[in-house]
Amino acid sequence: MKSVLYVEDNEYNRKIVRQLLSRTSYRLREAADGEAALGMVREERPDLILMDVQLPKMSGLDVTRALRADPATADVPIIVVTSFALSGDDQRAMAAGASAYIAKPYSPRELLALIQTFLAER
Amino acid sequence: MKRSALAAGDDTAGPDGLNRVVAFLLTRTPLGAVVDWVARVPASVHTKLLAAFLVITLLFITMTGVSLETIQRTALQSRKMHAAHERVEWSQHVDHTLARQMHFTALALLLRDEASVARILRENNRFNDALARLEAVGTSQERELIQQIRGRQDGVMNAVADIANAIRDGRLDEARAELLNRQERGYQEIEALVARLVQVENSQMLALKQAVETANFRSIILTACFAALAVVLALLCGFIISWSCLLPLRRADEFLGAVAAGDFTATIAVPNRDEFGAQAERMNRMSRELGRLHEEQQQTATALRQLNARLEQASRAKSEFLANMSHELRTPMNAILGFTEMLRDGLYGDVPEDLKEPLDDIQTNGRHLLGLINDVLDLAKIEAGRMDLALEEYAVQDVVDSVRVSLRSLAVERGLEFESRVSPRLPIAYGDARRIRQCLMNLAGNALKFTRQGRVDITVEQQGEELIYRVVDTGIGIPKDELEKVFDEFRQVDAAVTREFGGTGLGLSITKRFIEMHGGRIGVESDPGRGSMFWFAVPLRVVVTA
Repeated sequence: MKSVLYVEDNEYNRKIVRQLLSRTSYRLREAADGEAALGMVREERPDLILMDVQLPKMSGLDVTRALRADPATADVPIIVVTSFALSGDDQRAMAAGASAYIAKPYSPRELLALIQTFLAER
Repeated sequence: MKRSALAAGDDTAGPDGLNRVVAFLLTRTPLGAVVDWVARVPASVHTKLLAAFLVITLLFITMTGVSLETIQRTALQSRKMHAAHERVEWSQHVDHTLARQMHFTALALLLRDEASVARILRENNRFNDALARLEAVGTSQERELIQQIRGRQDGVMNAVADIANAIRDGRLDEARAELLNRQERGYQEIEALVARLVQVENSQMLALKQAVETANFRSIILTACFAALAVVLALLCGFIISWSCLLPLRRADEFLGAVAAGDFTATIAVPNRDEFGAQAERMNRMSRELGRLHEEQQQTATALRQLNARLEQASRAKSEFLANMSHELRTPMNAILGFTEMLRDGLYGDVPEDLKEPLDDIQTNGRHLLGLINDVLDLAKIEAGRMDLALEEYAVQDVVDSVRVSLRSLAVERGLEFESRVSPRLPIAYGDARRIRQCLMNLAGNALKFTRQGRVDITVEQQGEELIYRVVDTGIGIPKDELEKVFDEFRQVDAAVTREFGGTGLGLSITKRFIEMHGGRIGVESDPGRGSMFWFAVPLRVVVTA
């Protein structure tokens, strides 16, 4: 069973993804801040990470860079959730090592399609 | 100050050696004090120069006087020489006539005739005449000798008369004896006296000659000395007057150099109480004024720097706030729109028919609110100067297609024809494709909203180095007097229009800003009641400016 790690500090947004993935076979794990996310990745390597940019303690981009720097996690696909209005967010996400980005607010339908695209490749 | 002024002068003017001499004269000799004194004289430079030239002129007049006097003295000496020559000549003449007198006396003894006796008398007269001439020009010593000669001459003449009588009477022996005794002796005495006279004249002549030579030599020396003195005095005069002017000039030069180099504390001190003194005082005032202005400017600059730092800090705080707000607003919007979409998609089970419309309304209004948030944040970022273009290569066709796909449902909903026409074979463009798309979305979205029937068309073509985007509609149009205002912030033609058609009134304003950031132009033409044509032109390849 493929696992997805969703890093997001807002409970309601986590709930959307939780309910979105409840109909699929993917196992969802959740982290509410950047440091917790790093710990969970090291504990068990996920098949895909959904990473919000603005997180408490450690930003999503910093976590992404840290994961890319570690050989054990360097090749985990990471989808960064950016804020649309901040121009350059997407470039910064790609520069930090994101595999793809999706702008917030996202359509759950489109997010699910993106997740499926990444996990089907494996 | 004096030394430094000269040192400064050394760098700029004249040969080194000359400057060292001048420096030595001004600092090590009383000349410096004299120059200082002349500078302190409260008179204009003009007056001082006149005085100096007057002094020099007087010196040369005096020298001319001395020379004339010397010439006069030399002339006097030569007149004396001439007189002495004359005396020598006359004394020789006296000697000569005496000899002739003696000769004719002897001859009378031999010839024994009256003619010879008369000749003696004639010669005697000549002798007396010569004596009288000599006496007229002679000195006292000579006159004394001449008196003695006259005394003897009288004796001789008596003897001659006796001899002449004896000759006439035929007393030859007696005459011969007289001749030998009295006349001969008298003649000899006279001869001796005349010889002395001649000797005196000659010796006087010699003495005079020596005196004239000495006097002439003295005159030459005196004149030369006086000339030399005059030249030295004239030079000194020139030196003093010129340096009383040059020193303040050099100090002014040094002072101006310091001021030019930014030293506004520099002052100039000159002893002069003439035009240079006045000028120095004005220069000091200028320096003080410049210093005051400089200080003021420094204070203002410091204040401005502090203000700028505070403003930058405020601006950063504002930008951070905007970034945070962007995130904070978007997070709940994400949840609202996400849950609504999942509800509508039946993720939580089938949606009853009568709930579908309210759910769609929630979604529509949620998206509209999101659009408002995006517009407000975009404008705030533009105002804060924090909006940067993300330049990249893009295909115009892709941008137009994306806009058309996004708005197709709106066009269908409003029952409008919606077409796009992009010139074939457009080159790849360079710019911020996302912003261009946003601009085109705004224009086309507006056109669709403000058109009740008919059509909306998007066209793009290349003109020179520019891409011209046009959105043409058959909508309500815009009155002429409103055309200029449509790109202003928070401006819609009519508040009622806002209520009917929605929108923030920010779209066109943001569009205009983005187009201007690309170095492009935006405009509108409208025919109220028949339709409008919005257009913008952007460079095919945007040039990045710093």
